[in-house]
Amino acid sequence: MTVAQIFKALGDPVRLKIVKRLSDGSSYTIGNLSKDLGISRQGARKQIQTLVSAKVVHLKPVGREIKVTLDTSSLELGRAFIANLENQWDQRLKALKDLTEK
Amino acid sequence: MQDIIQREVTINATKERIYDAIANPELVVLWFPNTIEGKYKVGERPIFGFGEHGRNQIYIVEAKPYEYFSYRWVPGSNHFIGDVLKVPNTLVEFCIVEEKNGSCKVTMTETGFAKLPIETAEESFKQNSGGWEFMLGRLEKYFAGV
Repeated sequence: MTVAQIFKALGDPVRLKIVKRLSDGSSYTIGNLSKDLGISRQGARKQIQTLVSAKVVHLKPVGREIKVTLDTSSLELGRAFIANLENQWDQRLKALKDLTEK
Repeated sequence: MQDIIQREVTINATKERIYDAIANPELVVLWFPNTIEGKYKVGERPIFGFGEHGRNQIYIVEAKPYEYFSYRWVPGSNHFIGDVLKVPNTLVEFCIVEEKNGSCKVTMTETGFAKLPIETAEESFKQNSGGWEFMLGRLEKYFAGV
């Protein structure tokens, strides 16, 4: 799984909504998670499946139900990446500082 | 949804000197791109060269001595050659503000990530140099408390 695939999986408002719901660490059943997303149950299922494929979420059978939980290890990559981007600008600005303070 | 990256640095130099380092093509290559092809002037589309990391054609939007300079580009895409205004792009702005003690605060603001298509971001990612900001911004917000 690459970061690119993970972010592609998140590049949709419905999928982001799903991830946001799961972001407090709680798990939902597929049924609960599919509610109030503004799309059909079938559509919701498809979106959840996309997140599963990208390993952003896990599915775990619990009794007769299937629980959905967030896979935080994938998302750690995202946070690491932001730090990278900001670093890039910090380095450039540091170089500007070094140059102009000379 | 976060659309913005903002970074700041305090520099112990005059705003004239700092502005010159940003807006003068002979000086900007000493800290940012390695090379500049074309005219580095408002309304022009020069090409930033990053050595082996590729080339990136930008559009200079505004230059106000000695406080403001801005350009548009395809972020992270060091291989974009073409009219940047015809594709989704970000606006990079440098603001220089003089502080009371004689130093200056330089703020870099990059905005427009939310409008970038996923393909641009993917391409940027492949080049290992950014472009995911719009997604990451969202993520940061959502996961800030996790």
